[in-house]
Amino acid sequence: MNIFKKKVTVATNEFNQVVVGNSLTKDAWRRLKKNKMAVIGMVVVIFYSLIAAFAGLLPIYPYDEIILDHQHLPPSLTKNAGELMRVKKMEDLYAKAWRAGRLVVTEEQDAQLKQWVKDNQNNKVWEFCYAEGEAQRAAGTFAFNSSEQRTIDRLEEKIATELQVTVKHVYWTNPETSKRYDVQKMDYKEMLELYAKMFNVSPQAVEEQTEMEIRAQLLNSIKATAPDFTDEEYAGMVEDELKKLGEKGYDSLASQNIYGKIVTQSRRVVEQELKTIVSDTDTKFPLKETFGVGNDMTAQVEASKKHERRYFLGTDYSGRDMLSRIIYGGQVSIAIGFVGTLTSVLIGIVLGAIAGYVGGKTDYFLMRFVDIMYGLPYMLLVIICMAVFGRNILNLFFALALVSWLTIARMVRGQIMSLKNQEFVEAARSMGASTGRIIFKHLVPNSLSVIIVYSTLRIPAFIMQESFLSFLGLGVQAPYASWGSLVGDAVASMTLYPWKLFFPALAMIIFLFAMNFLGDGLRDAFDPQSKNQL
Amino acid sequence: MTKYIIRRLLGIIPTLFIIVTLSFFIVRIAPGGPFDGERALPEVVKRNIEAKYHLDEPVIQQYGRYLFDVLRGDLGPSYKYKDHDVNYFIAASLPNSIVLGLISMMLALVFGISAGVIAAVKQNTWVDYTAMALAIVGISIPLFVISPIMQYVFAMKLKWFPTSGWFTSGGGWRSVVLPAIALSFSYFADVARLTRSSMLETLRSDYIRTAKAKGMRNSTIIFKHTMKGAMLPIVSYLGPAFAGILTGSVVVEQVFRVPGLGKFFVQSSFNRDYTLIIGVVIVYSVILVIMNFIVDIVYAQLDPRITYK
Amino acid sequence: MNKNKTMPAAAHTENSTDTALLDVKDLKTYFLTDAGIVKAVDGVSFTLHEGETLGLVGESGSGKSVTNLSIMRLIPSPPGKIVGGEIVFEGQDILKLPEKELRKIRGNKVSMIFQDPMTSLNPFLKISTQMVETIMLHNKDVSKKEALERSIEMLKLVGIPSAEKRIFSYPHQFSGGMRQRVMIAMALSCNAKVLIADEPTTALDVTIQAQILELIKDLSVKLKTAVIIITHDLGVVAGMCDKVCVMYAGRIVEKADTDDLYASPSHPYTEGLIMSVPRMDVAHKNDRLFSIEGQPPNVIDLPPCCPFHPRCHKDMEVCRHAYPPTVGVGSGHEVSCWLYVDEAQRNLALEKALADEQHAAADAVQTNARKEAAK
Repeated sequence: MNIFKKKVTVATNEFNQVVVGNSLTKDAWRRLKKNKMAVIGMVVVIFYSLIAAFAGLLPIYPYDEIILDHQHLPPSLTKNAGELMRVKKMEDLYAKAWRAGRLVVTEEQDAQLKQWVKDNQNNKVWEFCYAEGEAQRAAGTFAFNSSEQRTIDRLEEKIATELQVTVKHVYWTNPETSKRYDVQKMDYKEMLELYAKMFNVSPQAVEEQTEMEIRAQLLNSIKATAPDFTDEEYAGMVEDELKKLGEKGYDSLASQNIYGKIVTQSRRVVEQELKTIVSDTDTKFPLKETFGVGNDMTAQVEASKKHERRYFLGTDYSGRDMLSRIIYGGQVSIAIGFVGTLTSVLIGIVLGAIAGYVGGKTDYFLMRFVDIMYGLPYMLLVIICMAVFGRNILNLFFALALVSWLTIARMVRGQIMSLKNQEFVEAARSMGASTGRIIFKHLVPNSLSVIIVYSTLRIPAFIMQESFLSFLGLGVQAPYASWGSLVGDAVASMTLYPWKLFFPALAMIIFLFAMNFLGDGLRDAFDPQSKNQL
Repeated sequence: MTKYIIRRLLGIIPTLFIIVTLSFFIVRIAPGGPFDGERALPEVVKRNIEAKYHLDEPVIQQYGRYLFDVLRGDLGPSYKYKDHDVNYFIAASLPNSIVLGLISMMLALVFGISAGVIAAVKQNTWVDYTAMALAIVGISIPLFVISPIMQYVFAMKLKWFPTSGWFTSGGGWRSVVLPAIALSFSYFADVARLTRSSMLETLRSDYIRTAKAKGMRNSTIIFKHTMKGAMLPIVSYLGPAFAGILTGSVVVEQVFRVPGLGKFFVQSSFNRDYTLIIGVVIVYSVILVIMNFIVDIVYAQLDPRITYK
Repeated sequence: MNKNKTMPAAAHTENSTDTALLDVKDLKTYFLTDAGIVKAVDGVSFTLHEGETLGLVGESGSGKSVTNLSIMRLIPSPPGKIVGGEIVFEGQDILKLPEKELRKIRGNKVSMIFQDPMTSLNPFLKISTQMVETIMLHNKDVSKKEALERSIEMLKLVGIPSAEKRIFSYPHQFSGGMRQRVMIAMALSCNAKVLIADEPTTALDVTIQAQILELIKDLSVKLKTAVIIITHDLGVVAGMCDKVCVMYAGRIVEKADTDDLYASPSHPYTEGLIMSVPRMDVAHKNDRLFSIEGQPPNVIDLPPCCPFHPRCHKDMEVCRHAYPPTVGVGSGHEVSCWLYVDEAQRNLALEKALADEQHAAADAVQTNARKEAAK
């Protein structure tokens, strides 16, 4: 610690007492450092923010990768997905065997099991049957019948061999110059030729096919935004849309389309190739290699054994990794919290400062408006906006920011009103400073500590509001996640899959705790006298 | 005083006018109408429906008609539930929401104020720390997290209370406990913190020192001299708290399946049942505005320094 | 009630020498703050006799108010703490009384009025409520009606017009001066033996100030109340007090009868204070007014020295190393200043102090060395 402390010669008075200049910020910082909870809160907030900011660099599975085989796997630190799938299958088989009377249990146990079934506590039934079945199988009093054995074998086979292949890049090597090109960066015509060669069809046919697909795509998106038109009208609209796209736009759409197909085909080829070597013990998975996919084309591929994945926090109903969803959900929630607060604070500062400084009619009408807005259940207005304008992150963000500037505007106005009659403002005015300069150079900086404190306390509130809407299904929509939507998704099935509720809730609560402690700490540090605010 | 009340009552009118106007126009500028279902309706049917709901008129005329209807207390027909109008749904569900909201408010006030006062009087003791720790828990855990967790722990695991239902539909008083506590929790926390800080500030004030110098007992000082002044911030907090409880009841009613207004609100916003949405918002606003009005009057009654001019 | 017991003004001055009503001995009140121990009051002693008026004079932060809050045991604790001394009132040590007994003294035998009448009355309760509760608190057998009558009587006594009506008002309906009158009425409503007035006029207009002081003076004579007036205004002291204590940095530096003090101020600080009062009755009116240079010291971790020495124009070597003892310089006139200690003693004290300092420094070096070694 001492290494960091600079040796400073301190000023002392006649009594050898240290004379310290009282900087408000320094003083506040000193008080904040003394507040243990606030410091812990700050560390946690920074940690979360870093994770959210660099989520893309973390070694986690994609948050939107759906693997249906991995639906609702429980969290486990030791078992991988394959083992969990096996356990799940066995639980199911044992429970069925019990129902069929093949797994013999004592009468008491039988009654208990039936009670559980009645209470809808299937978890307990499965757990019990699994433990009992394993024990009995080890003891030799129970054996799977042939069809059950076949199911298990098939599952084992699947777990052992199935691969998850992701194509990162597809390259084409010019056989004459042996120069390598990234297919994705080629233009439409070149891609078209490659594709035609790949499938041994004429480029014209491919072109026609692509055009049809693009038209269908356009039609669907038009129908989604403007329903209730006749087919002829729709046809006209598609033509309009095509014209609007122009040649360039059309080509880029078409390239995307064809590139997707090339990738799919490459993956198929690679998968085929890998299947032969998957049982080969020499091949280490996950691998990252380049495979030839024919026609002078190569694909850079990442392949891993699908069922060797580990889900430390379990998976959701589509087999998506909860850990990654919580991290990316946190990214959305925290981003909305920070950016939304910043936006609303900026709006609030500008309007509050204007109202406070200009005064008169401007002030009267602005504040009347704020008063009226205060009297409204504005979260409900936000809900209306979400219902009406569509549920996406951007709308959510704007709707929230638009109703959240009220308090800050009031606060800034109050600060400005009390500051504007002070001598230093008079002095600035007497020196001919402009109104804008006085407001934003003299008044706003002087109310900054209040604003900072308020903003810190505002962030958790903002996150809560966002999550509240997402919880109701009116905010962030799948495949995106936010803490609120994760909790919302989990509520219906929380008895069966409690981890889906527990982990996102925990992640969120810890962050909100930290944020609140930090906010409280900041407030006490900046304003030790008045604690009479929420 | 009477003049003040009348003036405040008159002040309510623009607020309500703005809310009706705002929600009406937000809904009207929405892309896509309420009858744009998955399957396209034949043109004639569509025109008939539009005529029935006056959607074929110019927007201004619709607006005027709607304002007039609202003034008469008619919130219009529901777009989705063809058999009933909005008033029917509101009459059926509003009482449940009000009961839930009032119970929660009472819980929050009674426990919040007690906890806050005790914490302030026993400042820096374990009582204070416990109360404030509980309060920060209440503030940090969102309603939609505490509700399912309470449901999971107290209803599903411990089976102390039913998981859902309502006393009007045969759930008994037990069915009210969990939703009311869940809804009141964060307001309890706010009230407790607010009471504590306001009590501490009042206890530091000069007039409390005077009271001490007069030789008064601590209990008298707290209840007679401190409470009245310290309660003022709580009273002004009641307005926002009511708004919050109204909004929060949407979640609680969803989780505990309470047949209240909040459930309709969420449903109708998914269904794009616009008349129902606006209707619910108007009702909520009226409740809120009335509550704010009462709060203002109470505040003016409590603080002798406020003059009614 | 007490009107018929009024004594002539001259009588109580003579009376003042017999029995000590309030005896403060070596009072020490410290505040424990983050920055260190604030020795707000560090060894204050004085005596108050029946019917006497005592002035406590000093700059802000010199410990006047803390001294008097300590007498009432109203120091906010934490951070404040009375760490030593005795406050003997009517033979009992107030500092050792249980809370219940203490409450019987507060507001009853010893009452207090505060600096700011604007905030010292409860804004949420009517004047009547606040006055009646005081009377009923200390006179168990008084009915509410009697208490109200007595309150009105007291309000009349302090000169509140149409007191019968105005008693039912709230404090904010009174002006500052009127509120201070109400405070005085409330403080004296139980026939207090001692009235502590903590800068009773500082927050008031100059014209009102004189009226209030006059009122306190009149009432103290009429009701035979001893008064402690805390002030930074030497003019107030001259007009009202029998005796004066001058405080500096938590200690009394000079204590004397008022006339004596003005005639022969002994401590350089007192001298400075008196010289810095603008006077109309001397020649050279146009000369610059005297002012004491510098600032009073920060009382956190004050080293053992005369705290006034940096501002003193007569400071000596010994002033920088040891606190002066209290010496008598006339009848009832005491002063804490090395100027009045003979040279031999001074030198002795200086030697001792220097030796002590060396010792302490050596100790500090040693402990530091030990700490380093421990690392």
